[in-house]
Amino acid sequence: MTTAFRPSRRARPGRLAAEATALVTALAVAFPLYWMVLSAVKPEGEIQSTEPRPWTLAPSLDSFRRVFLQEDFGRYFLNSLLVAGTVVLASAVIAFLAATAVTRFRFRFRTTLLIMFLIAQMVPIEALTIPLFFLMRDLGQLNTLGALVLPHLAFSLPFAIWMLRGFVKAVPEALEEAAYLDGAGRTRFLWQILFPLVFPGLVATSVFSFISTWNDFLFAKSFIISDTSQSTLPMALLVFFKPDENDWGGIMAGSTVMTVPVLVFFVLVQRRLVSGLGGAVKD
Amino acid sequence: MRPDPNATAPPGAGTAGTAARPPGPARGRPRPAAPARTGRRGGATPWLYLAPALVVLAALLVYPVYQLGLISFLEYTQAQVSGGQPTTFQGLGNYRTLLGDPRFRDVLLATVLFAAACVLATLAVGCTLAVLLTRVRALPRTALMLASLGAWATPAVTGSTVWLFLFDPDLGPVNRVLSLGDFSWTYGQYSAFLLVLLEVVWCSYPFVMVTVYAGIRAIPEEVLEAAALDGASSWRTWRSVMAPMLRPILVVVTIQSVIWDFKVFTQIYVMTGGGGIAGQNLVLNVYAYQKAFASSQYSLGSAVGVVMLLILLAVTLVYLRLLRRQGEDI
Amino acid sequence: MNLIARIAAPAAALALAGLAATACAPATSSGASQGDGKTGTLRVWLFREVGNAPKEKAVDAAVAGFVEAHEGVDVRVEYIPVETRAERIKAAFNDPESAPDVIEYGNTDTAGYVEDGGLADVTAEFEAWDEAADTDPAARQSVTVDGRVHGAPLFVGARALYYRTDVFADLGIEPPGTQDELVSTAKRIRAARPELYGIAVGGANTYGALPFIWAHGGGIAELRDGVWTSVIDSPASRKGIAAYAALFGEDNCPAATCAAMGGNATITAFAAGKAAMVIGGDFSRRAVEAGEAGGRYAVVPLPGVREGEIAPAFAGGNNLGVLRSTGHRTLAVDLMKRLAGKETQAALFEAMGFLPTFTDVRAAAVGKEPFAAPFIETLGSGSRFVPATPAWGQIDASLVLPRMFQEVVSGRKDVRTAASDAARTMDAAFAAAG
Repeated sequence: MTTAFRPSRRARPGRLAAEATALVTALAVAFPLYWMVLSAVKPEGEIQSTEPRPWTLAPSLDSFRRVFLQEDFGRYFLNSLLVAGTVVLASAVIAFLAATAVTRFRFRFRTTLLIMFLIAQMVPIEALTIPLFFLMRDLGQLNTLGALVLPHLAFSLPFAIWMLRGFVKAVPEALEEAAYLDGAGRTRFLWQILFPLVFPGLVATSVFSFISTWNDFLFAKSFIISDTSQSTLPMALLVFFKPDENDWGGIMAGSTVMTVPVLVFFVLVQRRLVSGLGGAVKD
Repeated sequence: MRPDPNATAPPGAGTAGTAARPPGPARGRPRPAAPARTGRRGGATPWLYLAPALVVLAALLVYPVYQLGLISFLEYTQAQVSGGQPTTFQGLGNYRTLLGDPRFRDVLLATVLFAAACVLATLAVGCTLAVLLTRVRALPRTALMLASLGAWATPAVTGSTVWLFLFDPDLGPVNRVLSLGDFSWTYGQYSAFLLVLLEVVWCSYPFVMVTVYAGIRAIPEEVLEAAALDGASSWRTWRSVMAPMLRPILVVVTIQSVIWDFKVFTQIYVMTGGGGIAGQNLVLNVYAYQKAFASSQYSLGSAVGVVMLLILLAVTLVYLRLLRRQGEDI
Repeated sequence: MNLIARIAAPAAALALAGLAATACAPATSSGASQGDGKTGTLRVWLFREVGNAPKEKAVDAAVAGFVEAHEGVDVRVEYIPVETRAERIKAAFNDPESAPDVIEYGNTDTAGYVEDGGLADVTAEFEAWDEAADTDPAARQSVTVDGRVHGAPLFVGARALYYRTDVFADLGIEPPGTQDELVSTAKRIRAARPELYGIAVGGANTYGALPFIWAHGGGIAELRDGVWTSVIDSPASRKGIAAYAALFGEDNCPAATCAAMGGNATITAFAAGKAAMVIGGDFSRRAVEAGEAGGRYAVVPLPGVREGEIAPAFAGGNNLGVLRSTGHRTLAVDLMKRLAGKETQAALFEAMGFLPTFTDVRAAAVGKEPFAAPFIETLGSGSRFVPATPAWGQIDASLVLPRMFQEVVSGRKDVRTAASDAARTMDAAFAAAG
């Protein structure tokens, strides 16, 4: 968002209205998140009040305490980070290699492969829960974090390859020629020249891998059968859902804890994301 | 003043029947030559680079898809999985059972309508806000961008719980503000779907907005200024100038939205408690999951999965055709 | 190039490769035992009840004793939600590697779990267990399939009518003596105290609804010539369904809230002081006692259609079982015996109100605690059970009856249509199970 498009320097009627609309929309969009954090710090009595107020005069950390005092909560958090981190790193490297192959080389089945990657994106992962369950069982991965890492790796790859394609393509051929003339080998070009140039694209891509993995609910629910030490955050959140006596304070505090890392990640990569998406979809 | 003859053509007219690409957004970068012309033949190298991706995808995507198809032709229930009974080949029997089941047809229809509504709403909101972003100064723009990123970053599970809480009949602020008393949003089929739709749009419009905004920024300023000088209204500028130029981007975001919204699982599962009262809010994904993992009818669940796959495959083929018509080199 | 051709070629190749592959369907799990380790970690799954803390305490005490008696053994207990138990337990059957060693299961699931090959046959150990001699025959029946014992009974679950003594006294009314009176009493309370449900009922509370069907002479299914046939759409059953559905509405329990409620949710509402009556079990006592309604309630048997009758109750109850896949069979059976033994059952009665399955322990408990009397009386006047076929597990997990009740109470279908749809679904499941 560095070189935003300015329609005109002159004040125009309607611009103020547009800005007001933008601000109101921003508030409306942010409101659920505000309510989440607010409810997380409200004392128990105020959450249960049927006259909810949009502020609290007596913030309390009780709900967070309940969340963190849950047995193994730290473990769940680390597990979530571990799973998402592994998927992000592995898919970035693998997708980078694959994207390079399909954009900078000419070989048989190239187009077919590209189409396959595209089709692979649309495979509904929930529908594959059934065969994946049996596959993970046969691989002995059920009840371990591997059962969460492997499927998410597979599901984030096609989109990552498809997105990175644009970035790899954007690096001029001339640069590659020059590198070879300088005596750089293929491997050196790949990792020391191409990789840094494509890095912004990798960041944008990793946002998607990170989110889809971090958000995972279904696999964590289905594949981690009995070993609670291998559970991830969404499962910790579900503990607070009880028949008709939901501990909303706990749920909101848990949601806050689960959302903050993604938010931080987003804010960190925000600039690269905007330009990244622009780059990815244009080609 | 008409900056570009193509740009004012109504959407669709510019490219219909021709292979000419619409005026693609020209950014600062030089457009690299297509690999088909200059790419090198690398012998085994490309396959070496592709190997890890292909291995992972073959093992964890292609093979499971194959198994999904296979299971959908078998009789495969708990008795077969752990009860030691032999599996038998059913041919199309499972599909016949499904298609003969009025419940399945209801769920299929509800899924298609719900996904369509989500896609339309997401695109409308996303595009409107993208245009809005270009017309405001830095502060409101940053505010809207940050709020949207926040919504985007919210995990589906937490987004669902928060929205559910906002609309809670007793404790939520929405019913107070709208004076709805203790109206229960999850009781009626339409209001429950509407509630889920709001959450889905909330967390998926940012992708559309950011992408389209990035695309608009890539349109040369003169083009838009010219339109503004012409006194064109926002809607007209969008329809006549932006939309045609953004076509490739719009195709991408539309298809991505279709794919994502058709597969909605977590929101329905969490917000309607696994499919709503008497299963009124079931969508295919949740239905397949319940069939397989709650009722242990793994083969019927797989057949539902295959139906979903086929529908999405059809959508993807349409997408590919559109991309190719635009001269996308793939 | 032609797009379709590009895709068709690899797709065809893939299909051919698939046909050529010999290992077709995913391998089935044998579920057989993997040995008999004498040390290590035992995993236990128990159900999470409303107000679970006292249960945890009683279980912890029993587990502590067990761990002390066994060197090098660790026990991890997890409390799983009843509503989604099917997914968890089936997953455990599917993957012996990660399955727990001991589980709690509802007696309605016994036949299905045995058919699925999930539960170990512990007949020999059960016969040799000195405490087992005092097991109530009905409870023993609930762990037995084809003469083989697959677990140990943990408690007997009977349901009766909880009511708020303070509300009844204020309004000067008596507990209802017939089902018609139950309806009129509920509506009268709601009219006088609009902040209360007359009686909290739930569209998904199957076992609270069944007594209405049974009281009107209806049923779920009948065994005719060796084949189970649903009778949920018989005229008598439909009368019962209508009677139950009449309790949903602004004049008692608004459908908008109550249609979605399950058994636990109705108990929670009563415990929180939001209802004047509820159909609750002996196992609900702790939750009620700990809530707003604590100390202000009494229990009577659920009335039948005519004065003096008791509506036939559902003979519920939970058992403990050892999974066939356990790698610590001896230890797991020992742990099961300790958790379902006389000492723990007595402690669970104290803690939660769970009715013991040992006749002597139950007699002692009832003598000490008059609370249990209405439940014993209900059981004594005749109880009913769900169809004893493996198909029942699937019908239950597919939510056939909750869906039927929800369709009726939300006005989506009339009783006749909803009941005949449910009957068709059930008959299909019975046929499939053979």
